[in-house]
Amino acid sequence: MAYCPKRLLSIVIVILTIMLNLAPALARDWPQIIAAARGQTVYFNGWGGSEVINRYISWAAGQVNQRYGITVKHVKVADIGDVVSRILAEKSGGRTSGGSVDLMWINGENFHAMKDNGLLLPPYTQMFPNYRLVDTENKVSTLFDFTVPVDNQESPWGMAQLVFLYDSEVVNDPPSTMAELLEFCKDHKGRFSYPAPPDFYGTTFIKQALLELTGERTLLYKPVDIGKFDQVTAPLWVFLDALHPHLWRGGKAQPKSAPEMKRLLADREIFISLSFNPAEASNAIATGELPESIRTYVHEGGTIGNTHFLAIPFNSSAQEGAMVLADFLLSPEAQARKSDPSIWGDPTVLALAKLSPEQRTLFDTIPLGVATLSPEELGPVILEPHASWVTAIEKEWLRRYSK
Amino acid sequence: MSGRRNRLKIFPALTLAVFLLPILVGLLFTWAPAFGYLSAAGSNRFSLEPFATLLHHPSLPGALRSTFISGIGASLMSLGLALWIATTLYGSRLWSTIELSLAPLLSLPHAAFAIGFSFLIAPSGWLIRSVSPFPSGFTYPPDWTTNGDPWAISLTLTMLFKETPFLLLMIFSGLSRLDVRRTIWVGRSLGYHRLRIWTRLIIPQLYPMLRLPLLAVLAYSLSVVDLAYIIGPSLPPTLAVLIDRWFHDPDISSRFVGAAGALLLLLVTLACIGSALVLEYLISKIASRKILDGRRKSPFELLVGSGSFYALILLGVNVLSLTALMLWSVAHSWRFPHFLPARFSFSNWSAALSHLLEPVSVSALAAFLSCLLAIILVVGCFENEQNLARSRIDSISQRSLWIIYLPLLIPQISFLFGIQVLLIIFNLEGSWGTLIWIHLVFVLPYVFLTLANTYRSYDQRYSYVGTSLGARPVRSFFRVKLIMLTKPILFSMAVGFGVSIAQYLPTLYVGAGRFATITTETVSLASGSDRRVMAVYALSQFLLALTGFLTAIVLPAIMFRNRRAMQN
Amino acid sequence: MSLVLDSIKINLGTVQLFKPLSLTAPPGSIVTIMGPSGCGKSTLLASICGMLDPGFSFSGAITLNGRPLNGVEMEHRKVGILFQDDLLFPHLDVFGNMAFGLPARMSRRQKRERVNNSLAAAGLEGFGPRDIATLSGGQKARVSLLRALLAEPEAILLDEPFSKLDENLRGSIKQFVFDQIGFMNIPALMVTHERSDSADGTYIELK
Repeated sequence: MAYCPKRLLSIVIVILTIMLNLAPALARDWPQIIAAARGQTVYFNGWGGSEVINRYISWAAGQVNQRYGITVKHVKVADIGDVVSRILAEKSGGRTSGGSVDLMWINGENFHAMKDNGLLLPPYTQMFPNYRLVDTENKVSTLFDFTVPVDNQESPWGMAQLVFLYDSEVVNDPPSTMAELLEFCKDHKGRFSYPAPPDFYGTTFIKQALLELTGERTLLYKPVDIGKFDQVTAPLWVFLDALHPHLWRGGKAQPKSAPEMKRLLADREIFISLSFNPAEASNAIATGELPESIRTYVHEGGTIGNTHFLAIPFNSSAQEGAMVLADFLLSPEAQARKSDPSIWGDPTVLALAKLSPEQRTLFDTIPLGVATLSPEELGPVILEPHASWVTAIEKEWLRRYSK
Repeated sequence: MSGRRNRLKIFPALTLAVFLLPILVGLLFTWAPAFGYLSAAGSNRFSLEPFATLLHHPSLPGALRSTFISGIGASLMSLGLALWIATTLYGSRLWSTIELSLAPLLSLPHAAFAIGFSFLIAPSGWLIRSVSPFPSGFTYPPDWTTNGDPWAISLTLTMLFKETPFLLLMIFSGLSRLDVRRTIWVGRSLGYHRLRIWTRLIIPQLYPMLRLPLLAVLAYSLSVVDLAYIIGPSLPPTLAVLIDRWFHDPDISSRFVGAAGALLLLLVTLACIGSALVLEYLISKIASRKILDGRRKSPFELLVGSGSFYALILLGVNVLSLTALMLWSVAHSWRFPHFLPARFSFSNWSAALSHLLEPVSVSALAAFLSCLLAIILVVGCFENEQNLARSRIDSISQRSLWIIYLPLLIPQISFLFGIQVLLIIFNLEGSWGTLIWIHLVFVLPYVFLTLANTYRSYDQRYSYVGTSLGARPVRSFFRVKLIMLTKPILFSMAVGFGVSIAQYLPTLYVGAGRFATITTETVSLASGSDRRVMAVYALSQFLLALTGFLTAIVLPAIMFRNRRAMQN
Repeated sequence: MSLVLDSIKINLGTVQLFKPLSLTAPPGSIVTIMGPSGCGKSTLLASICGMLDPGFSFSGAITLNGRPLNGVEMEHRKVGILFQDDLLFPHLDVFGNMAFGLPARMSRRQKRERVNNSLAAAGLEGFGPRDIATLSGGQKARVSLLRALLAEPEAILLDEPFSKLDENLRGSIKQFVFDQIGFMNIPALMVTHERSDSADGTYIELK
């Protein structure tokens, strides 16, 4: 049962696109940018916890160096929040140019904060040649990041959708709703958990539960109504209160991140884990990180999905180089390679319909992967609720469970 | 002589300049947001709201609880264990083995050990696997809470196994200044048994030399972040982890609370340090009466045999954790309940090799330069100290040298954020100079601590002889004193080298993303899921630090291969 | 009341340190053992005390007041020792150092009385609360001997006790030590390489 305000949003999109094209763009065209980018060094700050991703970026850096003469340095961070702090410190210190970050890999929560505090470059992605290939009609999260308008201030990089990983050796019939998940946990005590908020994955699991269980979904897409908060979220807390005693370690400890959950799944401490990458299981099986019995499933009715982005800070010292890199990462060639489960498996933001036949073959020849669900099986994407609800829910969760 | 005296005066002054100003300013800038000042967020009104938010945060009581348990517990237990091992094993063959094993033990970085130890004790980990499926009957890991337990016991144990070798190093160093053998002789001839000799005669003389290292251990244990991420509690985590999270939070306003938290952590640390000093005073008061009660034998004398048991556990756990890392680095798949990897593969190493080159060289260069600068400053300060003592001149800058221990006693997270802002204002961040400087800030105190006892107990008469034979004082210094002290100097440099390699937050905050060290890479991988590549990087950290120690051992051995008296 | 050594032989590996040694030290007198450096004098003392390093092998019999000392734990041998370094405990004052050797059965008041009497008899009246670091070399040497004697040992060993003292002090300290030992009436064994240090008792050369 798909519920997303598609119609309304499509109209908004059209209006916005017209507005953006009329807005004064940077007074340069793309060939000028490519010329200016040559010889620049782009410091790309992104999460470095996965060698798989690090190798992909390494490949992209090599390509961009060959084609455009740009040197890319991958600054591997443990948490992108460190980078946001650094840019914030630079702004505090009056560093309006020559900043240390040129391109960064972020998601909605960080984008919201950076945009609010003026840490981003003014709109620019409309200039990218590959931007017109982005599936802005069907993948609405490329235009609205956690309901905050993107305004061309960040470049979409990949799609994320909440999926569950399970060990088919022990689990024959994976649950397809939160209620069934609760039953599963009662039958298999200690074999499921979710990362503790404010970890991004943990928060998303809770949002998914709330969206499935609440009777008032529409309210979640508007700014939070404190008066109605208890009413709207009551089913969630009932569910979690019932769930926690049956979680891994009796709910006394929770994994600190999704990667830790992946480790627990590999170690067989838990039987069900979660991920944002539908092809993650296939990729991990190929590299040997997960056993071959791991498979993927989703809940009926759809799961939350969003987009992850690349952003350029306001004070970058290699803006043109960063733009060229971001555009390359948006190209069909780079996106196809990224979605190959044997390389990384991250879904593309491009619309296959907008591609030329040669470009489309790049995607058609990619094997799905043994543990990946086909797009039909993946089901509908539920949009992220309004950011203010997320803050409120996180706070309440901490109050109840993190003492 | 007077010319030399004047020249040496710059050493303590220089050393203080390196430390005092930046730390004070760093503290200030880190705390400013706690009171409402964060210009980037457009806020510059004095406000106590961050503190209100902090104190009402639901996670705070739990965080304080696990911080206290792990911080105080680990420090006290390490001190107790180290002293117990010294008391029960001094003079035995195991004692010499421990001395030899200190170098590799200290080379194993804290985070690397934590990864290995966590794997050792996990319900799906090595220890359980050794008894699964037979005789435990487990085909799947039991749902026990061993690592990451909510009472921070596993975190405490992790720190215990890492801090005890450091305190043992300080004990070795301190004992070398006492005439232990003959003190034991006198004590035994007066009828006292082993335990009482140590508790009444040796430890009271030893403790003043352990005081500062213990306080450093205490401050570290209270404020450690990476260990708490790996093996600490999650609901809620320790205070240091909470602060770190607030500083990272996408919501900018969390930084105000983070700054308030950093201030609270500093106060907690100072309170614990103060309590330790008060406790020391009280114990010495009570002890001074008991020491003279004439009772020769302690009721615990029977337990003296347990010393070797504990020492072997200490060595064993470290060895097992290191072995676990080594196996993971060459494993392709290693699943429960297999005791050894089902499939081995060297591709983890071969794939990482080309990527390891840059971080390893950056770490090595930074570590080498900072320990070199440190040793020059430290030796200069010691020489100045001895010069002043000879001429009986008092010097404010020499006496204020205790300030160099400040970086060890103040939580890193409580002043590094401010230093970052300061450097940005002066356009100094991200340069080699500042990176070496911030590493020096943490390396120098350890070099000082490690070298102090040996350097100060050097028999000055050797230098006098040199001078009397016609050499100018400077020449006598370089050709007699420095050469004779080669081994301890190189060893303390190796300790400093290891300290520099292990630095994470300083490189992160000061480096502005320009410096990828082996440690920043390892920590970033530790936030991921692949234990195999984590192990490769962690072992690279270990090997790099070990190289420093091996150099400190092999170089003097070669230099003095024909000089048996230098082989001590 | 004597200390009797019978055919003492100490080997370091295959090397025999000195010819088998036998002697009798009567109470109140001092047997001086002389020999060049490195001939094993200190090792001999260590063996009598019970403090021999594991690398050495020992044979022979030691008897003190009819009690065999072979195999007896060092804490129970009741043999005192005086070194050339005073080895006073720096964290205790003079009273503390001296009271350390007194038996547990004495009350604190009794201990204080004993120590003060002892100090007074040695010309160190009122030195009880003094910090060790403030004492002169001669004072330290005297306190060191008094500490050893207060523990009421049945024999005392002296390991080159005067070699670190100033020339002018040596005579008076020597006399003090010999007087005290005579007064306590216990056997004493002194090793030295300085002929002038020898006492009026038996004199043996170690070969």
